Amino acid sequence: MAKVVVVTSGKGGVGKTTSCASIGTALAMQGHRTVLIDFDVGLRNLDLVMGCERRVVYDLINVTTGEAKLSQALIKDKRLDGLFMLPASQTRDKDALTYEGVGDVIDALKEEFDFIICDSPAGIERGAVMAMYYADEAIVVSNPEVSSVRDSDRIIGLLDSKTRRAEQGESVKAHLLITRYDPERVEHSDMMSVQDIEEILAIPVVGVIPESPAVLRASNQGIPVVHDSDSDAGQAYSDTVARFLGEELPMRFTELERKGLFSRMFGGRR
Amino acid sequence: MRPNQREQQAAFQFKGGNLTITTLELMTTDCLKIEQELSRQTQKAPAFFRQTPVLLSFDQLEERPIALEMIVDACKRNGLIPIAVRCAQEGIKKSAWALGLGWFPPLTERRLKEVEKEKSCIQRLPTRFVRGTVRSGQQIYASCADLVIIGAVNEGAEVIADGNIQIWGTLRGRAIAGAQGDTEAKVLCQQLRAELVSIAGVFQTFDTCEWPKKSERPIELHLEDQSLVIL
Repeated sequence: MAKVVVVTSGKGGVGKTTSCASIGTALAMQGHRTVLIDFDVGLRNLDLVMGCERRVVYDLINVTTGEAKLSQALIKDKRLDGLFMLPASQTRDKDALTYEGVGDVIDALKEEFDFIICDSPAGIERGAVMAMYYADEAIVVSNPEVSSVRDSDRIIGLLDSKTRRAEQGESVKAHLLITRYDPERVEHSDMMSVQDIEEILAIPVVGVIPESPAVLRASNQGIPVVHDSDSDAGQAYSDTVARFLGEELPMRFTELERKGLFSRMFGGRR
Repeated sequence: MRPNQREQQAAFQFKGGNLTITTLELMTTDCLKIEQELSRQTQKAPAFFRQTPVLLSFDQLEERPIALEMIVDACKRNGLIPIAVRCAQEGIKKSAWALGLGWFPPLTERRLKEVEKEKSCIQRLPTRFVRGTVRSGQQIYASCADLVIIGAVNEGAEVIADGNIQIWGTLRGRAIAGAQGDTEAKVLCQQLRAELVSIAGVFQTFDTCEWPKKSERPIELHLEDQSLVIL
C-alpha cells in the first residue's frame, strides 16, 4: 500500500527540500520504490538538491494539465534504482495546481511506488495546502527557534483540518524533524532544546539533524547529504528514516560532545 | 445651458452623520429642583452652555406625569435649547410633539436586550471539551458554555468561552472567558505563559510579567474590582 508523505514546515529555509531529498534517497537505499514531488511551483529547488536540474523536460503542471504523460515527466535518479522525482514548473505559479490534477497524479503514482514524498513550499497558501491535501503522514521540519516552531504549530493545525484525511474524519500522522540543531548553543540557552520543541508541538520526534557544514556542501553538489555516510548529518538522516519505518533508535548528535585534548588542539570539525 | 442645469440641481441633500450631543438625563420630575440644578451648573460656564442643543432623556424615570413644558422652559431660561426627547413613555412623546420637539426611542430597550442576552447565558449549555493541542491560528469558541481544553493552547491560538475556561496544559496563546460579560468567569490553566487573558472584557497582556511557578494546583485567573487577579 503506497504511502503519501508530505514534508512541510510553514516557515521557509528550515530545510524542507534538503530533508525531502535525503529522506527519499534513504528510503530508496532501503529498497523502497520512492518518488519525490516538488510542489514549490515557480520556485523549484528539489531538482538542484537532487542534482538532476539539467534533465528536467516536463514538470508536474504539464502532467496535471495533460500536456505530458507522467512517465515523460518522471526523472530517474542517477545513483539509485527505484528513486524518481517529479519537478515543479518554474514558469507557472501555485494557482496552476488543482485538487483534481494533483489527485490524479498521486493516484497514478500510487500504482508504481511505495512512498510518494511531497516537498511542500513554505507558507500556508495554495501550494502548501495542495502538497499536504492527499498526505497519509507528514514530516514537520522545524528549526530550534521560536518563529519556526510557531509556524510548524500552525502547519500541524492545518494538517488536522485541511487534508483529505481530516475531511474524512481520520488524522494525518505527523512526525517532527528538527534540523540545524546545535547542542552547544542549546547548552548556552541560545537555542531551543529538543524537549522544549517537543513539548510545544506535542508530536513525536522522528529525528534531529545537527547543524553541519556537510549539508550545504551536499546541496551545492546536488548529492543528498545522506549519501555522505561519514557526516553527522548524513547519519542522522539515515537514523531518521529508520525511525520513520518503525525502528527504535536512540537520538544521536543531541548532546554536547566533550572535546578531547586532541580535537581541541587540532580543531575537530568534520 | 448653465442656468438650466442649476435649476435641475437638488434643493438640498439629506445627510446622515454622527453628532455628539449633550444629553440631560433626568433623575427627577421635580421642575423646581431641575431648574435650581441647571442654573447652578450653567453659571459655572455660561458661555459654554449658551445656545447649546440638548436632548432630554427620560430613560431613568418611571411612567409618571411629567410637565415637559416646564422643563423645556427651565432649560431655555438657562441658555440651553432642547431639541428632542428620548423616552419610552407615550405621554412624553405626545407632549414633545406638541412642543415641536423631536423624539428618539429609549436606550433602555437596547439595554434590556443586552441584559437578556447575558441572562440567557446563565443557563449554560453542556461544557465543550477539546482534546489535544490548540495550535497557532486555531480558534475555539464555546457559546454559552464552559470550555475545557485537554491539552495546551499554543502561541497564536485563541480559546473563547461565554463561561469558564479550563486548560489542562500550558496556556501560551489567548484565553477569553466570560465573552458575553459574565464577570464571575474564570480561566484555569496548568501553566501560564499567555499572550493575553480577558475576562468579561477586562483584558491583560503579559509582555513583562513574572510567570507564576509551576505548582501542584492549577493557576487561576479571575476578576476582582474590574482587574485581573492571578492566583
